[in-house]
Amino acid sequence: MQYNQFIKGARTFASIYRRNKSGLLGLALLLFFVFTAIFAPFLAPYDPYKRVDRPILPPSSKYILGTNDIGQDIFSEMIYGTRVSLSIGFMAAFFTVTIGTLIGVVAGFMGGTIDEILMRFTDVIMILPSIPLLILLMALFGKQSFMIMILAISILGWTGTARLVRSSTLSIKERIYVEAAKAIGAGDRHIITKHILPNVSPLIIATMIYQVAGAMMSEASLAFLGLGDPSHKSWGMILHYAQTSGGWYANMGYPAWWWIIPPGLCVALTVTSLVLIGQTMEEIINPRLRRR
Amino acid sequence: MAYIMKRTASRLITFAVVISLLFFLARSAGADPFERYLSEDPRIPLEQIERLRARFGLDKPLHLQYFDFLWNTLNGEFGYSLYYKRPVFDVVMERLPYTLFLMGISVVLSTIVSFVIGVYFAYKRGTKIDTWGTNICMFVRSTPHFWLGMILLIVFAYYIPIFPLFGALTPGVQHENWFEFLKDLLFHYTLPLTTLLVRQIGMYVLYMRNSTVEVLGEDYMVTAKAKGVPKMSIMFKHAARNAMLPMVTVTAMRFGFMVNGAILTETVFSLPGTGRLIYQSIMNDDFFLLQGAFFIISITVLVANLVADLLCAWLDPRIKI
Repeated sequence: MQYNQFIKGARTFASIYRRNKSGLLGLALLLFFVFTAIFAPFLAPYDPYKRVDRPILPPSSKYILGTNDIGQDIFSEMIYGTRVSLSIGFMAAFFTVTIGTLIGVVAGFMGGTIDEILMRFTDVIMILPSIPLLILLMALFGKQSFMIMILAISILGWTGTARLVRSSTLSIKERIYVEAAKAIGAGDRHIITKHILPNVSPLIIATMIYQVAGAMMSEASLAFLGLGDPSHKSWGMILHYAQTSGGWYANMGYPAWWWIIPPGLCVALTVTSLVLIGQTMEEIINPRLRRR
Repeated sequence: MAYIMKRTASRLITFAVVISLLFFLARSAGADPFERYLSEDPRIPLEQIERLRARFGLDKPLHLQYFDFLWNTLNGEFGYSLYYKRPVFDVVMERLPYTLFLMGISVVLSTIVSFVIGVYFAYKRGTKIDTWGTNICMFVRSTPHFWLGMILLIVFAYYIPIFPLFGALTPGVQHENWFEFLKDLLFHYTLPLTTLLVRQIGMYVLYMRNSTVEVLGEDYMVTAKAKGVPKMSIMFKHAARNAMLPMVTVTAMRFGFMVNGAILTETVFSLPGTGRLIYQSIMNDDFFLLQGAFFIISITVLVANLVADLLCAWLDPRIKI
């Protein structure tokens, strides 16, 4: 029964989604990047961690985006970078949303002092500047580590999700069927898993898309500031090396533009595609927005 | 008055929470500063490390250390920078004005500009201008600060060399009066300011547009139109004023976000602000400087946030002061 309902819901979702042009554009873009990330070893012409030719060669038919300061192929770096950037984005978003949902449901469902304390704590993290805090966490627990970066982003990123989940938990909690379930003696655990979580899940999925965008942005910033894991080169890190290792004047006194433009452009395009998808999903979940 | 007190108290609590969290995080990460920086050198005898530890109070029990830490932080004692060999407080304070200058100007300008453009897009909603405008804003909002800055540098400092490549002032120039000084400063800050402004405007135009569109659907807007209120007056007096409120609620997150932008922008343009100090402190492995810079920046954000809160309360009579 529930499975059928799920299929039905997914079908309606797809049929509305298909009519949204910007949503489709976003999806196509994202799929392109995901495809690149998955098939990186087949798509990249060279090993991004090995020297292939002379340093700072401008783009040519042999090296589509030229080479960097130590003679690595930038096009291959970009392709492998897709993998790192996307996987940090998705993993951090997953943890973020998990923490956020947990805190949001607990705060909304329990109410009272627990709610008060949790929401105050959420406000504290929300007001503070995130990048210095991320830097501090990484400086304490491991500066150039892939996993620490993901954890740091998740530990600081859950606030928005928690607030959203909390407010929708509050409204679901008051609905008649939850009252009915309570009246026939359903426990808290039953109500949370059978009534509240299924009802907030569409919202959770939509916020997760935005969280991927946010996490990718944080990752790019941190990697740019030199906190990335050197054995996992991401787009942000390519820019970090461009900034610190002479990308500015390497091209005979001029900037090596082929080194600087592509990574940022890819970050921007991926984040845009995620925002487009997120917006479309929001419109479907929240019909009040659709009519506008 | 009660409102002001309550807000101030809540910001103070926030700061206390931050200090405490940092203390315990720093400790749970293991290794006190002496273990971290001295024990790697085998030439330093163990007794000397112990003596230093006793001198700095690190042999006390943890809760006493916590109170020491709290007391010192409140007195502006953030320790010594390992790289500059000077008190952290002095190093950070020297650079804070540059960051405040950058952030202050961009907060004011971006608010005004995104207000006007947002209302204009809402007025033109559904037309080509609106669709393209919002799409461009969405893309701009998705570009990383530092990349935007790098692109501006490539175009306006290298290929079309109008603006300087780095720094806040022309090196070696003695400014005759404050006007000359300001002129030089603004000239150097044009590109960094543009970077921050473009990002900020891209974000807030969308907020402003959407909330104006929402207000335009309200009944009292129809009434105003029926009464024959002129179009401009409807847009700016009736719609925009009410649409301002949701914009104002995002200010809370805004200052924190601005600091993020300032760090990245200052790094790209090599400006002598607190943001780049944070970047340098990672590069130099200068933990105390990083921690102190973070505290001072956080206090600044909290104060700015408080001021914005009170300003909102003053603007919106529905919030009782």
